[in-house]
Amino acid sequence: MMEIDGLRKSYGEKVALDGVTFTVGSGEMFGFVGANGAGKTTTMRIAMGVLEPDAGEVRFDGHRLGFADRRRFGYMPEERGLYPKMKIAEQIAYFGELHGLATAKARKSAADWLERLGLADRAGDHVQDLSLGNQQRVQLAVALVHEPEVLILDEPFSGLDPIAVDTMADVLAERNAAGVPVLFSSHQLELVERICDAVGIIADGRMVAVGSVGELRRKEGRRFLKVAVEDAPTGWADALPGKVVGNDDGALLIETDDDQAVLAGAVKAGRVTHFGWQEPTLVEIFREAVA
Amino acid sequence: MNGLFLVARREVLVRGRTKGYLISMLISAAAVVVLAFLPKLLGGPDEYKVGVAGTDTAVISQALTSVKPSSPSLTGDAQATVKITEFPDEAAARAAVADGEIDAAVVNGDTLITDGGVSSELSLIIDTAYKQVASSKALAAANLPPDQVSQALASVPDIRQESVGEDAEEAGARQAIASIVVIFLFFMLMYPVMFVAMGVIEEKSSRIVEILLSTLRPWQLLGGKIIGLGILGLINVLVIAAAGLAAASASGVMPDLPPGTISTVVATLGWWMLGYAFFAALAGALGSLVSRQEDSNSTITPLTMLMIACYLVALFTAGTPKSTLAVTLSYVPPFSAMMMPMRSATGSVEWWEQVLSALILAAAVVGALALGARIYRRAVWRMGSRVKLMEALKG
Ligand SMILES: Nc1ncnc2c1ncn2[C@@H]1O[C@H](COP(=O)(O)OP(=O)(O)O)[C@@H](O)[C@H]1O
Ligand SMILES: [Mg+2]
Repeated sequence: MMEIDGLRKSYGEKVALDGVTFTVGSGEMFGFVGANGAGKTTTMRIAMGVLEPDAGEVRFDGHRLGFADRRRFGYMPEERGLYPKMKIAEQIAYFGELHGLATAKARKSAADWLERLGLADRAGDHVQDLSLGNQQRVQLAVALVHEPEVLILDEPFSGLDPIAVDTMADVLAERNAAGVPVLFSSHQLELVERICDAVGIIADGRMVAVGSVGELRRKEGRRFLKVAVEDAPTGWADALPGKVVGNDDGALLIETDDDQAVLAGAVKAGRVTHFGWQEPTLVEIFREAVA
Repeated sequence: MNGLFLVARREVLVRGRTKGYLISMLISAAAVVVLAFLPKLLGGPDEYKVGVAGTDTAVISQALTSVKPSSPSLTGDAQATVKITEFPDEAAARAAVADGEIDAAVVNGDTLITDGGVSSELSLIIDTAYKQVASSKALAAANLPPDQVSQALASVPDIRQESVGEDAEEAGARQAIASIVVIFLFFMLMYPVMFVAMGVIEEKSSRIVEILLSTLRPWQLLGGKIIGLGILGLINVLVIAAAGLAAASASGVMPDLPPGTISTVVATLGWWMLGYAFFAALAGALGSLVSRQEDSNSTITPLTMLMIACYLVALFTAGTPKSTLAVTLSYVPPFSAMMMPMRSATGSVEWWEQVLSALILAAAVVGALALGARIYRRAVWRMGSRVKLMEALKG
C-alpha cells in the first residue's frame, strides 16, 4: 500500500502541488487523471524520489518510502529516457542489474520481455534505430525487467497505436493480477475507466476526486434516466417529478429522484421502448469535477 | 558499491566497443610509433655512399671505412657506415655526385666533390680519413717505416671529453622527451575527460537520469562513469606507452634515450591518473549543469581552457625547466599534473619534489571529487535551462 500524504511543491511562485493526498491499495490499478499542468508528473516524481517535496511524504506499507523500497519499484518517466546508442537487450538487462538482478537472470528476463513485447528480433539494435512506439515498448521492458513490486508509470499510453495500447493494457493488467499495485497517469479516460480499480482526479495541484469509478459516479456524477416512448405526445414528461435535461436521438434524458413515477408516466404516454439509468462516463465525471 | 561497479562496467563495455574509441586508440598508437621512428627517418642515412677516383683510392677507402664517428647522437646512427664505390675517373665520380647516386666523392685522395655540401657527420668522417692518409703520407715521406706509422697513429686514443655544463645533446633529447610527455598527457587527459562531460550530458539530456537515480545514488552514477572511462583511458595510455617503447627499441632509438626514460614513462602514468581524476570530477560537475547537448559548449569551455592553459605553460617551459615559473607551477594543481612530469622528464627534479607535488595534487583531487559530487548531486535532476553554478553549490 502506498500512501501519498499532503504533498506540497512550488516552483518559485508557481504552486504545482497543494496538499495532494491519496492511497494506492495493494493490488490496485490506480488511474491518475488531470489536465496538462495539473501536477501528475510532479507527484509521481516525488513518489520516485527524483524530486523533493516542500512538505508531505510518501509512505509504503506504513513506513516512509526510501531508496531501498524504490529500487524494487518500476518507473516510466514522462520524458522517456534510454541510452540512444546501446543495444536494447543489453540496455534492459543493465537496468535489471541496477535493480539488483544477477547478470544471467537480468539477461534472461530482458530476453523474455522482448519476446513478450514482440521485439525479440530487434534485440541487437540500438534504441535510436527503433520507431517511437517500439522505443516505448523498450521503456516498458526497462520498467518491468526486475519484476517490480510497484509500478509507477507516467502516461504510459501516450503515443501508442491501438494495438500497442492493448499490449500495454494487457501487460499492466497481468502485473496487477499478480498483486502489483500500479499507479499510472493518462489522458485516455475511456481506457482508465475500463481498466482501473480506482481513479484520482487532480486539478491545479489538488485532488478533486478519489475513489473507484462506481464511487465517483455516485458521488460526483449526475445520472439520468433515459426513456424512449413511441408516439408519445410532446411534453409528455413535463408534469413528472424531475427535469428533462436532454434529448438523445428521440429518447429523453431525465434527471429525477423518483424513477418509478417517471416509469408510470411513460407507460401512460405510450409504448415504452427504452427505460434505464444512464451512468455518467468518466469523461463526464471528470468535466464536472474539474469545472 | 555494486552500483558503482555496474555503471563503470557499462561505460567500459559500451564506450570501449565504439568505433570512435578503437580508432582513436589505433591512431594515437600509430602516431607514437611514427614519432619513435621519426628521428631515424629524418636523421639521414645510417650508411653514407662515398665514391673514390683517381690516385690513392685504396688507402683513402681503407681509411674512410675504418673511421668511427665519435659521439653517438639521438639520430640513432650510433654506427654510421661508409659504402665505397670506385669510379674509373674523376668525371664519372662527379657525374655520380651530381646524380645523387652517391653523397660525395674523394678524388686523388685530396679533393672532396659534393653536391652543395655534406652533413657534418660525413664531413667529419671524410676529414678524419683525409688527415689520416695525409699524415701517414707525410710521415712516410720523412722516411718512417709505414707499419710503424700506422701503429703510432692507431695508438692515439680519441680525445677525452668532459663537459662543465650539461651534455647539450642529451639536454636536447630530454627537452624533446619532456615535450612529448606533455603532449601525450594533454591528449590522453582530454579524451576521457570530454567523454565524462559528454556522458553526463547524454544521460541528463535523454532524461535517462530519472530512471537511473531511482536506483543509484548520484555519487555511484558519477563515480562509476569516472572510473569506467578512466579504465578506458588507462588502457589507451598503456597501449600507447607500450607501442612507443616497443617502437623505440625496434627503431634503435632506445640506447640514445637519456637514462631514466623508463621511470619517466612510469611516473607519467601516475601523473595521468591524478590529472584525470581531477579534471574528470570537474567535467562531471559542469556537465550536470546543462540539460541539452547544445548547451554543453558553454559549460565545458572553462574546463577545456584550463586544460589548454596547463598544456601550453608546460610545453613552453619545457626548454626552461629550472625557471621560477616552471618550478612554482609544478606544485600548483592542476598545473602540476603536467608541469611536474615535464620537469621530471628533463631530469631536473629530486624524487621528494615529485612526491610532494603528487601529494598536493592528490589532496586537490579529493577536493575536486567532493566538489564535483556536490554540484552533480544538486544539478543533475534539474531539467530545463542551464543550472547556475552558484545555485548548484548553494543547493
Ligand atoms: N521544473 C519546473 N519548473 C517550473 N515549473 C514546473 C516545473 N515542472 C513542473 N512545473 C509546473 O508545475 C505544474 C505541474 O506540472 P506537472 O506535474 O508536469 O503536470 P502534469 O504532469 O499533470 O501535466 C505545471 O504548472 C508546470 O508548469
Ligand atoms: Mg505530466
